[in-house]
Parts: sequence; C-alpha cells; structure tokens
Amino acid sequence: MSSSKLCWPTPNGLPALGPTAVLAACVALLAISVPAVELDLVRLITAIPRMIEFGGHLLVMPDWEYLPTLGANMLQTLEMTFLATSIALVISLPLGVMAAANASPHPAVFHATRNLLTLMRALPELVWALVFVSAVGLGPLPGIMALSFVTVGFMGKFFAESIEVVDARQIEGVAAHGAGWLQLRTFAFFPQAFPDFVGTVMYILDHNLRAAAILGLVGAGGIGYDLVMAMRMFDYDRLLPIALSIYVVVTVLDRLSDRFRRRLI
Amino acid sequence: MSKIIIKDVAKRYANGFEALKGVSAEIPAGSFTVILGPSGAGKSTLLRTINGLETPTSGSVQIGEQPVTHASLREVRAQVGMVFQHFNLVDRLSVMTNVLTGRLSHRSWLGSLLYLFQRGDMDIAHDALIRVGLTDKAWNRADKLSGGQQQRVGIARALAQQPRVILADEPVASLDPVTSEEIMGLLLEICTRDGITIVVNLHQVELAKRFADRVIGLNEGVVVYDGVASGLDRATLSRIYNRNGDQVDEQLETMLAYA
Repeated sequence: MSSSKLCWPTPNGLPALGPTAVLAACVALLAISVPAVELDLVRLITAIPRMIEFGGHLLVMPDWEYLPTLGANMLQTLEMTFLATSIALVISLPLGVMAAANASPHPAVFHATRNLLTLMRALPELVWALVFVSAVGLGPLPGIMALSFVTVGFMGKFFAESIEVVDARQIEGVAAHGAGWLQLRTFAFFPQAFPDFVGTVMYILDHNLRAAAILGLVGAGGIGYDLVMAMRMFDYDRLLPIALSIYVVVTVLDRLSDRFRRRLI
Repeated sequence: MSKIIIKDVAKRYANGFEALKGVSAEIPAGSFTVILGPSGAGKSTLLRTINGLETPTSGSVQIGEQPVTHASLREVRAQVGMVFQHFNLVDRLSVMTNVLTGRLSHRSWLGSLLYLFQRGDMDIAHDALIRVGLTDKAWNRADKLSGGQQQRVGIARALAQQPRVILADEPVASLDPVTSEEIMGLLLEICTRDGITIVVNLHQVELAKRFADRVIGLNEGVVVYDGVASGLDRATLSRIYNRNGDQVDEQLETMLAYA
C-alpha cells in the first residue's frame, strides 16, 4: 500500500462511527424538514421582483416633519431599556447568588430559584408585555415591566453561572479568616465574578434595546408602535428613518459598551 | 498564645480514603511547630481540621479552651489565621483590601456589603503591611504581585486579624529557595515577637530543622515522630518518608545530604 494514501486517525483508517452517524442523522433531519417549512425554490425566485418593488418604495424622501416625534419615541425606547435593565440588575444580583450551587444558602433555595428564573424567561418579552398591557393598560409601563421580568430570568441565570466558576481557593482564603456568610459573598465571590457580570449587563443592555424596539407592537411603548403603524399604513417615508435610527442607536450602544468593558476589566 | 489540643482525630473522605487514622498531639502556646511528611501523608488534612476547613470523622480539636465545632466555626476562625501554598488572595482586589479581609470577623455584614471598614482597621492593616515590607504595593491589584510578594500579603492578612494561632499550609512550596527563606524567617519572627502559635506544613526537612521548635512526623495518617527538630536523624526520617514498608530510596539520601 502506498504510504501517501489518505486515511483518518482511527485504528483501521476509516471514519469514526460516532461522528459519521451524527452527521448522517443531521443530514436526514434536514431533508425531512424541507417540505415541512414549505421551502420552495420557485416561490423564492418569483418573490424577487416583489422584494425589489418593496425596496424601491423605501427609497423615498423621508417625512421630515415626523423626525422630532421619531427622536422622542427613540428616547423613550432608550429610557425603557436602561430603566428595565437597572431594575432587573438590582433584583438579579441576590437571585443570582441564590441560584449558584456554590453560593446558595440551601439546595432547596438553589432549585427553587433556578426554577423561578426558568419560568421568567420561558416566554419572550412580547408575550409578557401582552399580559402586563392587559393588567396595567397601554404605554411604556407594561413594556418596562415585561422587559425587567424577562431580563431577571436571563441575568439571574448568567450571574449564577459566573458565580459558579469562581476559584474556590480564593473563597477559602477569605473564609479561613472568619468572614461571615454575606461578607464571603461580597469580598470573595463578587470580585471574581465581576468582569463576567459587566459582560452580561452589556450584552443584555444590547438585547433589551432591540427587544424594547418591538414592544410597541402590542402597545407597550417605544418606537415599535411607529414601526408597525408605518408598515401597515404604507408610510414608506417613515419606515426607513425608523429602521435606520434603530440601527444607529444599537451600533452606538455596542461601541460604547465595548469601550466601557475594556476599561473596566 | 493559645495551645492546640488534637485528640484522636481521624478523617475518612467520601471516596473512602483514610487521610488521618487517629492523630493526637498537643501544640504548646507560642511554639513554632512543623508538620513533616511525604505527599498524601495527611499533613494538609490535619492542619485544616484545626480551623474547621475539614471536619474530622471522629476525634476533636481544641484551641485554647474553645473546641472546634460547626457552631463555633466563626469564632475559631476569628482567632486563627491561615497562610496557603497558593496564597489564596482575591486576585482582583487591592493588596490593602486583601489584608483588610483579615478584619472581616470584627465587622458587621451591613458595612461589609458596602466595603466599609473602620479607620482602626486601616491602621492595623497598614501596620501588617509594614511588618511584611509591602507598604509601597498597598494599592496594587493582588494578582500583579510576584509569588513571594503575594505570600507576604497572605501573611499580612493573617497578621491583620491579630490571631492567636497562624496555620501555614506548605507556605513555601511554590516559591524559590531565597524567598522561602524570607517567608520562613517572617513566620519565625511573628512567632517569637508576637508570641503567636505557629503550625507549618513543610516537605523540606532542612527548613524544618532550622526553624522548628518541634516537629510532628506524619506518614499515612499516623504520627510517627513527635519531638524536637534536632531529633530528626536518619532513622527518624526514613520512618517519616517510608512508603508501604519499602526501604526508602535515594530521594531520602539526597534530602539527608542537604539537611
């Protein structure tokens, strides 16, 4: 046999059974799901002219008189984002400690908190917003409530996971000198998990801004209401400015949070 | 300042490993005691039962008049400082804050939530840093320091606590010989000047001979020697470093050559 013959790094040179089976299963699964989602090449191709037509509508002179309203609604969206994230942060810190296996006061508390957090993030913001809109009425308030609610679900879980990977030796170093329960969490757990916390908050802020931008869909405040109305009323002269402003705000926030994180860590 | 009484302490881990098989010892107040033994002899386990980082399966430990129990843990730890092989400082906190964590047992949880200390605590921490010669690094982050410096911070943290006992678990195992010398010297100075009882785990026979008042030799969870450091002769050492009844190898010869 020629020594340049290609082979896999297995005893017999054939592909390993496990990965091959998984790959085959994935391909089979994809093949089965194509009809289920009505993936139709002909339909996609015939849709191209319509997409171009829609794109052409967007390229109209923006509605200048609408811009101040857009600014105000965008500001409201931003305020909702920051407020909801801040509220969630304050609630998530203690919940994160309780949901971390190595910092929780009791296994029962650990499991209960974990389940609570799962429940909170089980449904998307939009669904909770529907619930809160029917509870407290239209406006940004139910939006903030929905956003905070789901954010606690995610933030608490992320915080707990950051706490669970801290170095046990550093904990022991503080514990051995007679620190109390809460002191141990403040002085040994918190400093170690802090960089992860900052990363989580930044990521969630970014996510919440985009979530807040669609909450208007169900009447829970923010720019989303304008977006939906412009779409439904064929107000193309408003649609592009709204989309652009969301893009700009998200990008700016992203850049700022990157810079902030680098300075802090 | 406090004597330590260890009575029939046995420790069996959850995986069935028997680290200590009934160890008894009395460590006099203000003495400098070294626990010597090969890896896995139970040195760390023994030391950690003294401040309750390990709970003995049977037997008891008493510091001064205070028995070490689950209920008395915080009181015990408030009197017992500890120095670790890997320093165990909180990396992201400043040297000063790390030293101040030695004061936590004297502070309330509410103030600590906001990282508040008293002026007096700062003075004590500052004095501790003077003792170890690190005042110029007080506001550096702990993980920016060299190993030797971090161990000095570890000692300062123990000192800031104003303890009656300091336990040191292989305090020089991660350090070079010169730095090891300095650290051991520092511990001895603390013992003689402040009268703090010091118990050190070591695996360097030579350091044990030079610094210890008293040596406890441990092998496979049993005390095989308990006496003055000068009593560490060839026969004693081979008893301490004996493994599974085999005659000890050349490693001991090398060790003895240096001792």
